[in-house]
Amino acid sequence: MSQRFKLLEICRRALSAFAVVTAVVPIYLLIKQAFSVELDSFAWPPRWIPHHLTLEHLHKVTSTGELRESLIRSAEVATVAACTATLLGTMLAYAMTRDLRARRWGLAALTASRLLPMIAVALPLATVLIRVGLYDTPSGLGLALVHAAIALPVAAILLLGAFAKIPLELEDAAFLDGASQLTILLRIYLPQLKQALAAAFVLSFLSSWDEFGFGLLLQPTNRTLPPLIYYYAVFGDVGAASALALVSTAPVLIVLVALRHILIRQPKPPAF
Amino acid sequence: MRRAGRFLRLSCLGLPLGFLAITLILPLLSGVILSFQADGFSLENYRFVLGDSLFRRSVYNTLILAAASLVVEFVWGLIFALLLSSRRRASFVTEVSVLMPLLIPEIVFLSVARYILLPRGYLNGALAAVGLPAVGWLDPRSALCLLSVALVDAWRVTPMVTLLLLDGLQGIPAELYEAALLDGAGSFAQSRYVTLPLLKPALYGALVLRGVDALRIFSTVLVLAGPEGAPVMSTYAYQLWGDAMEEHRAMAASVLLATMIGTLGAVVIAFRARTRASGGGALEGLSG
Repeated sequence: MSQRFKLLEICRRALSAFAVVTAVVPIYLLIKQAFSVELDSFAWPPRWIPHHLTLEHLHKVTSTGELRESLIRSAEVATVAACTATLLGTMLAYAMTRDLRARRWGLAALTASRLLPMIAVALPLATVLIRVGLYDTPSGLGLALVHAAIALPVAAILLLGAFAKIPLELEDAAFLDGASQLTILLRIYLPQLKQALAAAFVLSFLSSWDEFGFGLLLQPTNRTLPPLIYYYAVFGDVGAASALALVSTAPVLIVLVALRHILIRQPKPPAF
Repeated sequence: MRRAGRFLRLSCLGLPLGFLAITLILPLLSGVILSFQADGFSLENYRFVLGDSLFRRSVYNTLILAAASLVVEFVWGLIFALLLSSRRRASFVTEVSVLMPLLIPEIVFLSVARYILLPRGYLNGALAAVGLPAVGWLDPRSALCLLSVALVDAWRVTPMVTLLLLDGLQGIPAELYEAALLDGAGSFAQSRYVTLPLLKPALYGALVLRGVDALRIFSTVLVLAGPEGAPVMSTYAYQLWGDAMEEHRAMAASVLLATMIGTLGAVVIAFRARTRASGGGALEGLSG
């Protein structure tokens, strides 16, 4: 028996080590490429340890017009998308909380919208956006609205779980005291949802910040960060691509590692 | 007063659903209509797409990729879920490491994977260091390209599968294991008769979610192999739209992909309704 325990323990250790290595290697390579000179990146055999360090790429990212603009644009698009998704998600979750029929409709719509393939929506959407003048605009408003629609299901389901935890008695008591539905929503529910609202906002923000496909198709010249990283990574500049990738990864990693408890125990929609 | 509350609830339902309809469903429907247009209403676009050998190859590639990626990510996802849920809690470092590929932005992960797999990349460099010949991991002419793409996709999404299965594992009450132990079940019997049946709903839900994602795979293929390297259905449509300027044909191809995924979804929902009617599986959470 003890020998089998030992074997299991070795397996556990090996697995942990494997996980750590596969997680650390990509991040290490990214950081290495972002700080090493161009010659190092093209060396053969590839160097695992940089010979010369430089801040040139990071400087380029913050000073070149195109790169800085896309950084700002990505932040704007993600902010608009996250605000919209959180607002609409709260409304939807509220409507679904106490009403069985609304819940059915809501869940059906959320499930359906999660099944759509990006390409089947993005191609005709480009045509629609051209017609209403929101295609490839410098502000990226059209893209922000699509990102909001993608993030809405996640936000709504997260908030639905939070709504479900608020006791019905609280609403009844407020109702007996003469509070209107709006007052109940704004002064009873919302204060208890602070954490869930913050989580919904952050997750929506990140999903927009990371989104690639719609960005590629709907903002071909006024690019957001992910498509720009794609162009740099595939068509040339290794150093700039890595520096750009690092800049876009750092905030994500910090936030997500801090929030990993929410991620691991992501609430599921209650049965309907 | 009552009526005011009703109005509030209705608009709270209507506004978000209307928003979803305008931004996602309406474009999809207009794409369906446009896909039937070629000098008036005709099936010409579909005839072209279905007759194109590149499209048939992309369907084949999509299915192979999905199958390979699903197998790998479920094996690893289950192993990692067991690792994270075992009685001795995994350390913070292990926890974060297991989740890491999911935490990095997709495009960043993929471009690093590309640097690793390029002909003069880190993997071939490591092979050369131990005296092995270089391998064309992303060579569009070899079947290896498809496998590389599948492995990278599996690498990236294994954490998601892990989380979904972990959730299922944590829902199994410990008393069941104690009872099984008292009945004389060994560790194999325990996993066969306790863990597996109770994990089924989570496995099944994860399989559907990931299956849909695997069928609509886009960025992994585009970044690693380029649209010509290993065409899948979505990159095929992208190529027709962007490079060939064949908008309506591209929409026909993407409608076919959406139909495929929609059929899968409908089958699952029908199946779920049946199992629930017969008092079978507890498959809630699928919609999440």
